[in-house]
Amino acid sequence: MTRSADDGLPSLSVDCLRFFGAMSASVSHEIRNKLAVINEKAGLVEDIAIAMKSGRVPDPERLETQARKIVEQVREANRIVRSLNRLAHSTDEAVATVDLSALVDLVIELYGRKAAMAQATISRRGPAGEIPVRTHPFLVAHAIGSCLGTAVSRVDASHELTVAAERTDAGARVRIGRLVGAAAAGVDPKHHAADLGALLEVLGAELADDAETGELVLDIRHSKSHDPGGLP
Amino acid sequence: MKVLLVDDEQELVVTLAERLGFRGVDAKWATTGHEAVVLARQESFDVAVLDVKMPRVSGIQLKKDLERIRPDMKFVFVTGHGSEEDFRIGSAEAARYLVKPLDIDVLVETLKQVVAP
Repeated sequence: MTRSADDGLPSLSVDCLRFFGAMSASVSHEIRNKLAVINEKAGLVEDIAIAMKSGRVPDPERLETQARKIVEQVREANRIVRSLNRLAHSTDEAVATVDLSALVDLVIELYGRKAAMAQATISRRGPAGEIPVRTHPFLVAHAIGSCLGTAVSRVDASHELTVAAERTDAGARVRIGRLVGAAAAGVDPKHHAADLGALLEVLGAELADDAETGELVLDIRHSKSHDPGGLP
Repeated sequence: MKVLLVDDEQELVVTLAERLGFRGVDAKWATTGHEAVVLARQESFDVAVLDVKMPRVSGIQLKKDLERIRPDMKFVFVTGHGSEEDFRIGSAEAARYLVKPLDIDVLVETLKQVVAP
């Protein structure tokens, strides 16, 4: 395994930290936005209460609406925190049997804000259903996230990226493509595979493009390891 | 005082506009740079409160667009990041820079200071 130039850490560890840092930063920003809205909604309720004390007749529906919207924001923030928590717990075991379908949904959710900032949306395609694969849960999330991140950064405005997950004889597969147009997701798999070299090697995964569909294809083989220890 | 609030989080700007209304500030809101430019062409504002990071047009770019339409308009930047980089950019580009969640009293005081002659 190669080591990063400046700090002596294995380069894969640095990549993993960067991925987790990027996800944490994005999620914390999203939570802060929710808190900002909750802060203003609670403040507005207080403003209305003060107006009532000074004799102004309130509209009960107005208070009810604000209370309902506060609950909605709390629910949203909780959903976001739950996603980050699931990503954090994906490091609990180095190798485990996971549902790739659920893992793809998780990464799509975590990438939601980044996609919105790039004017892109990411949606699931294909049949729902469990796709069990024995692998490194966090590293697979990292690989999917990295592919999505590159695709999002290169997709044209107002395009929708699609992600599909499917079983294969050797494990499972993730396909990333565009909903609109026949062009590829904008990712050069050769360059991208070079960037993800260490990660793909540890996963025993391959990255390629499907010339017919223009999709970026990540093939993940079942891990033969039974070691439930820490991350490599 | 007339204020233009711009943030891609609609619930935030709608509520802020209402709260500023309670405090005698006439606030209008937009959730995109395009909407903000349309509003600025229709009427003048003393100050615009802009989110630094928005889809399509950033707050920094939007400030430049609005300045071309209303050269006298003042600006306050708001961010949910609070990073060193945002602070540096926000402080350099606008009269004031605030971090979410906002304190309404601080916002009102900031607006008064920014528009004071």
